Amino acid sequence: MSSDLTLLHTRDLQTGYLSGSRRTVITQGPLDLEILAGQLICLLGPNGAGKSTLLRTLAGLQPALQGSIEIEGEATKRLTPVQLAKKVSLVLTDRVASSNLTVYSLVALGRYPYSSWLGLLSEADKSVIEWAVSMTGIESLIDRKMHTLSDGENQKVMLARALAQDTPILMLDEPTAHLDLPSRIQLMRLLHRLARQTHKGILLSTHELDLALQVAGEVWLLQPGGQLHRGAPEDLVLNGVFEEAFVKDGVLYDKAAGAFIIHSDNTVPITLTGSGVAAFWTQRALQRQGFVVNTPGDSLHTVHVSEEGGVIRWRLEGKDQTQIYGSIGTLLNVLRFREK
Amino acid sequence: MEGTLKKGRIIGLLLLLLLAFLLDISIGSIKIPLGEVFRILFSFHSENSTWQFIVEKIRFPKACTAVLAGFGLSVGGLQMQTLFRNPLADPAVLGVTSGANLGVASIMLAGGGSASLYAIKELGFSGSWLITCAACAGAGGVMLLVLALSSRLNSNVMMLIIGIMIGSITLSVISIWQYLSDPDLVKEYLLWNFGSLGGVTGSQLVILSLVVAAGLIIAFLSSKKLDALLLGENYARSMGLTPKKARIIIICSTSLLAGGITAFCGPIGFVGIAVPHITRSLFNTSSHRILIPACCLVGSVLMLLCDTAAQLPGFQTVLPINIITALIGAPLVIWIILHKNNLRNFG
Amino acid sequence: MIKISRNLFFLVLSVFVLLGAFSCGRGAPKKEAAAAGEAGDAFSSEKAVIRHAHGFTIDYYDHYKLVRILDHDGTKTDTLKYLLVQEGTATPSGYPGAQVITIPVKSLVVMSSMHVALADFAGVADRIRGLGNFAYLSSTVVRNNVKAGKVTQIGLDGNINNELVISMHPGILMSMANPDVGFAKFKTMMDAGVPVMPNSEWLETTPLGRAEWVKLMAALVNKEDFVNKKFDSVEKAYDTLAQLGSRAATHPRVIIGMPFKGSWYMPAGESYMAKFLRDAGAGYKWADTKGIGSVALDFEAVAPEALTADYWLNVGQVDSKKEIAGKDPRYASFKPFKTGALYNNTKQTNDIGANDYWESGAVNPQVVLADIIHILHPELLPNHQLVYYKQLQ
Repeated sequence: MSSDLTLLHTRDLQTGYLSGSRRTVITQGPLDLEILAGQLICLLGPNGAGKSTLLRTLAGLQPALQGSIEIEGEATKRLTPVQLAKKVSLVLTDRVASSNLTVYSLVALGRYPYSSWLGLLSEADKSVIEWAVSMTGIESLIDRKMHTLSDGENQKVMLARALAQDTPILMLDEPTAHLDLPSRIQLMRLLHRLARQTHKGILLSTHELDLALQVAGEVWLLQPGGQLHRGAPEDLVLNGVFEEAFVKDGVLYDKAAGAFIIHSDNTVPITLTGSGVAAFWTQRALQRQGFVVNTPGDSLHTVHVSEEGGVIRWRLEGKDQTQIYGSIGTLLNVLRFREK
Repeated sequence: MEGTLKKGRIIGLLLLLLLAFLLDISIGSIKIPLGEVFRILFSFHSENSTWQFIVEKIRFPKACTAVLAGFGLSVGGLQMQTLFRNPLADPAVLGVTSGANLGVASIMLAGGGSASLYAIKELGFSGSWLITCAACAGAGGVMLLVLALSSRLNSNVMMLIIGIMIGSITLSVISIWQYLSDPDLVKEYLLWNFGSLGGVTGSQLVILSLVVAAGLIIAFLSSKKLDALLLGENYARSMGLTPKKARIIIICSTSLLAGGITAFCGPIGFVGIAVPHITRSLFNTSSHRILIPACCLVGSVLMLLCDTAAQLPGFQTVLPINIITALIGAPLVIWIILHKNNLRNFG
Repeated sequence: MIKISRNLFFLVLSVFVLLGAFSCGRGAPKKEAAAAGEAGDAFSSEKAVIRHAHGFTIDYYDHYKLVRILDHDGTKTDTLKYLLVQEGTATPSGYPGAQVITIPVKSLVVMSSMHVALADFAGVADRIRGLGNFAYLSSTVVRNNVKAGKVTQIGLDGNINNELVISMHPGILMSMANPDVGFAKFKTMMDAGVPVMPNSEWLETTPLGRAEWVKLMAALVNKEDFVNKKFDSVEKAYDTLAQLGSRAATHPRVIIGMPFKGSWYMPAGESYMAKFLRDAGAGYKWADTKGIGSVALDFEAVAPEALTADYWLNVGQVDSKKEIAGKDPRYASFKPFKTGALYNNTKQTNDIGANDYWESGAVNPQVVLADIIHILHPELLPNHQLVYYKQLQ
């Protein structure tokens, strides 16, 4: 399946650690992976499945236990550190502990593999830096000190640095960790756009399943045992790989909703009728309250949601009484009282 | 704009260095008219041969030593702080200083054995040289040990801890030695321990200059590597740096600088910690290409001022330079700790 | 006529000094010890009269003596008190806080070369049972005893082996501690019944004051008559020499010691070394400085004097001009270095590296003074042979 678009591919890859004569295998081989130009790949998997190890191995930061990695047709083993640095750039989880470093000089460090022995920047270097700054939209930050940045700003700056390194492949290790929701979405959108506009191959590891499913062209799903499933995200949902991967102490994946089910230990059955947005949110509220919604069998209560003229009403039908409520909150309070 | 500002500060510091140098040379326990000092400095001749001796043989070499010590200690400190990503690191952290210390102690305290003492005395002319070489050997020995361990370690924090441990072991060996030694010899060793700029003359000054120059050149050539290390080892590697190689080069440079200066002047503390911080806030940069020369200037000005202060105008006594640098440096370190809310934030 | 009498005077004096040096040195200690031994043990009929030392007093009563060790300026009231009680008599009451020493003391534990010298002078070196460190020992009597295993090394001030000392049951332990400070560490030993007496002779401001501590040793061993006579001759010889030296027509300028790493420690004006120089008719630039120890000077402050001085004495731990130049080539610019007027007090250094200047020299100040006068004014003592000093080549 190798083509002109293939930036990186691995053969029989096995990752892990080698200390002394002890091999700690993290990902089960043989892995034959590819990163194509313009492709955004999300590496998903539960904690401890070996996402970072795989990423570090692909980036050349640690040797593979077995197999080979080729980038643009050259085995990474044979590349010098500087040559490799011109192929793969990284955004890591490491905090940059340098308060006196300005954003501009940090981004400029991305030119390290290209600049002179003293680190002097040429005009060409400067224009690449400018491009990286504008791509990530951090123009307003360039004179700020690194320690004054928010986490979201910090990640954008680190991304700009990686862009300044001007490599066909970009790898990011959990770039959305520590970010608030808007920043997460912003960053993912930015990466999605970058992949399309710059034709870079972007590989990122993340826990953000929802976001990954929306932006990723391909998902690599690592399972705790070390198996790796790859494919379009939708395929992985449909063939049940997701569900299987995350089954762990009551963590269930709801194919229909495309989300994890948190409340899986609910026992009290309840019937919900009605449709639309209001019914969707009512179901969520009931699940949180400990009810199993619309399972076959007898249920003590039935909730009927209806909407008339923009006014939503909830009718609760019990064994011997029926009441109407004007909000989910009051409905939940009544149910809570009745349970006792 | 920013560039000219930095250039301006460099020129300002150069002028300050010149002034501090002249101040250091003009002030001393013996009053010599300023005009006479300048005449001796520029024509190396004076009617008063005593004055000529004092300026030419005492004050000038001492001021030169102060400048060299300022260069070496501050650049050594800067490199360590970057390498270990720790604002409180300085050459002493690596155990280089205590290694030099052990070398000196091994010669000075030589087991109280009159045999070895006799051997030193027989060498006569080379007496002080022997101590110097011993210090260099001690520094080098510890450096090799740290290097050997560093090739097995991938973490700077581990290396920092190992450096401190080696330093402590070395110092306790010295303490035991001291405890068992002839008090006269211990006294001489303790005096050396005070640190002094006044003992470096003639050919020693030449050697010290060479050693410091070599260390500085290596440091300057690795300034790009040091910049990359500011981001931490993983980032540095991803940008094409080989951390192990870089570490060895930086350690070599630091050992030359710190070991050489410790050998010739005794342990002089705090300059290595304080100067890089002063320089960073003065130049508002993290670029080692600028920081290294700037540290040289700030460090040498500071050392010259400390030396001038040590001479206590009006008194015939001179305070050990170590005490002055500690008096100035220790509050600075406290300031650093108080004002860096997060000690890992530096650079 | 005058000239002849002067020459005659010098001749007599030279012989006198030489004899003094001989008899007071370690030439015939055995004979003295024997002679002294016969007279000793009984409570002394003669009293020690202190004329030079300021560090102690002795009061005599019928069967006991009261010794006070004072602060060096003699002003402090909280002095250490010792009751020296004659063997077999009752301990007098009314002296709270005083340590009791049974005299004559039969066994001594000492710390310094000076203590050995005091015992040697009083003819009781044979009674030394414990010594701080064997490395500083010159006395033949004690060295022989060390060889015979009769003397134990007990460690110096900081790390004295308490158990060892206590098990030895010495009559007294002489410490080097300053009576003002640092005496608490001997509490264990005093509690165990070992009297501890600090010997602060190094705080005395004159050579005779230092030497006069022999009288304290005499009081401890009931040899006042013997020691008094011997000290009188030392004193007489010293005074005669001092008159001679201080009247010298010229005052050659002298520097002392060696700078180390830029600091030069010169004997302060009130030190016994400065007194030696004054009595030897030397020109000493720091003769008027305060203090009994030394003044710390920087190299530069001494350099003008050093460059033009006539003599360089007590150079330090060096043995040749080559070594001095090796320490710092700048020293070769000093006038005494160029003219060869370099003298070190190390002539009596023995095979183990101990220098007798610090031992017998301390109780024979007249010999040291004669050496210095001979160096500075050869014409005043032409026939004197240097005893403790030697010229460095």
